[in-house]
Amino acid sequence: MRLYEYEGKEIFKKGGIPVPQGSVVKAAEEARRTASEIGKEVAVKAQILGGRRGKAGGIKFARTPDEAGKIAQGILGMELEGYKVNSLLVEEKLNIANELYMGITVDGENGAPVAMVSAEGGVEIEEVAKRNPEKIASGLINPLYGIRTYEAINLVRQIGLTERTLTSASRVLCQLYQVFVLNDARIAEINPLIITNEGNMVAADSRCEIDDNSLFKHPEYKDLRIQRIENPWEREGAEGGVNYVDLEGNIAVMANGAGLTMSLLDTIKANGGSPACFLDTGGGLSRERMKNGVGLLLRKARADQRIKVVLLMVRMMISPPDAVAEGIMEAIEEVQVKTPVVAVMRGRTPYQERARELLENSAVILCPGVEEGIREAIKIAKE
Amino acid sequence: MAIFVDKDTNVLVQGITGKFGALQTKLMLDCGTKIVAGVTPGKGGQTQFDVPVYDSVQQAVNKHRVDASVIYVPAPFVQDAAFEAMDAEIKFTVIITDWVPLHSEMKIKAYAKGRDTRYIGPNTPGIMVPAQTSLGMISPSAVMPGSVAVISRSGTLTDEVASQLSEQGIGQSVVIGLGGDPIIGSRMIDILKLLKEDGQTKGVVIVGEIGGTMEEEAAQYIEAQFNKPVVAFVAGRTAPRGKVMGHAGAIIMGERGTAESKINAFESAGVSVAKTLWEIPSLLRKVV
Repeated sequence: MRLYEYEGKEIFKKGGIPVPQGSVVKAAEEARRTASEIGKEVAVKAQILGGRRGKAGGIKFARTPDEAGKIAQGILGMELEGYKVNSLLVEEKLNIANELYMGITVDGENGAPVAMVSAEGGVEIEEVAKRNPEKIASGLINPLYGIRTYEAINLVRQIGLTERTLTSASRVLCQLYQVFVLNDARIAEINPLIITNEGNMVAADSRCEIDDNSLFKHPEYKDLRIQRIENPWEREGAEGGVNYVDLEGNIAVMANGAGLTMSLLDTIKANGGSPACFLDTGGGLSRERMKNGVGLLLRKARADQRIKVVLLMVRMMISPPDAVAEGIMEAIEEVQVKTPVVAVMRGRTPYQERARELLENSAVILCPGVEEGIREAIKIAKE
Repeated sequence: MAIFVDKDTNVLVQGITGKFGALQTKLMLDCGTKIVAGVTPGKGGQTQFDVPVYDSVQQAVNKHRVDASVIYVPAPFVQDAAFEAMDAEIKFTVIITDWVPLHSEMKIKAYAKGRDTRYIGPNTPGIMVPAQTSLGMISPSAVMPGSVAVISRSGTLTDEVASQLSEQGIGQSVVIGLGGDPIIGSRMIDILKLLKEDGQTKGVVIVGEIGGTMEEEAAQYIEAQFNKPVVAFVAGRTAPRGKVMGHAGAIIMGERGTAESKINAFESAGVSVAKTLWEIPSLLRKVV
């Protein structure tokens, strides 16, 4: 899950990385008060989970507390890059001598953390990588040992830092690596890392993402992840333990397994059909998860008249067929919608035979294979 | 032996008394897998389906010849279980468990580096050599012995593709799920290098998906050095950008990881790319 800028700065601060003085506010009056406490020029920054807010008018500067209040009034509630602004970060405006970039991410190909630094901060690192690759230095880190001080020094030296900035930048890089590890981050990025006129390093922005598989170690984020999903159907899916993504078509599709679900969508498209969603229940199905998944699609079909048919495919490798069939029937019983349900039950013998037997006299249209199921769903959708 | 395992492979199950471990141990025994021991700390001295259970991997390998281990322990304990298998010098490990923390995956990868050991997973359905052995959950009814190797990033899709092949009379030398996560033990290229030398394998089906660069890397290798016919399928052609499609690894970020990039890479390497699942067997017949 992605963190807001202010949350990233909180974990930076805990890790010893200097951040500007400031706090997060949700109302204009609070913004005014915070600016007055800071007692100098402030930056008012929209807190959203994506997009380029600077260019879109999401970052403004105020000379006085009253001005900060007015600016906050203007930004709060705004829609920025598709995100509604519910909170702002009000913090001291920094005097900037120089801007750097620093980030730790995961290199999938090598399966290791990679540290990146650049002398050109404040712009997207991908752009710098395209335009001036020589301005970036990067190195893989052995996750068993963590970053070593000399590795950090070598990296920042490569982007031209010397003397005091060399040692202070390498210290921040080591601290950032600790933040990355302690928070089980996928990404921990400071862009820009400001060098002030006084020669101090300050993290002016943060971009952090926590690994979803590690949220059990971070109870403070666990519930937030689901609350922050903006699409209500996707949120309902996450609450029910399934992965739902909204699409535009008229065939609601569900399967157990991401690859299988994606390949059904592709195959439907390749045969002239149009998927309305992606719903992956994940493996090792229980009756409850099955019911949550089917129920979600049926409620969606009831709410969205475009959806003409629901296609379910379950490949039972270890999922118990009784739980699968009962979950389907209970959802149909509970939601009560006329949308036809096409079901393909496949997998281990005797699981597939058992699931088919249980569904034989139910409301679903049973098809023996993927091809038959997809063709049937497309046919119904076109009627 | 095709690759990694065969009917004579002695298997250890880590997490043998847990809910999934116990269920799948039963299913593997039904496939004829030679499970010689299991491990669950605190349950040493018990048995599970007549298989002796030990408190540690070292105890098990002291008593039995162990060629491979299958890990079913819950995600928070997977890192330690994998280290334990590698420290006991087990040469091949299958990590079935899903939802393994990313930082654990990186550490396991680093731990295995430089050791004489291989692993597949995490988040994999495992490996099946039809009519010989199964380390994981691939359905025995989906497979039949033959000469086509199936390599896949997915779970249920692996099983489905094997079924599609078997239903058309095309048998498999080995069926391998690599795992759906961004960091896995063996990448497609690693498996292809082994299949190149495998006398039993005459052709390969690669089931890829969006995200990462594993398919592009495999395509480059095929073009340069792989001499057996390959058919590929790439799941996620129609997936929207920036959305994780179920697997943590299945996401298109910017220009990276798109289906087009993978399909183009395969096609320029001379690999036939199937547009639908049921096209895979017919394309394969044309090339094998």
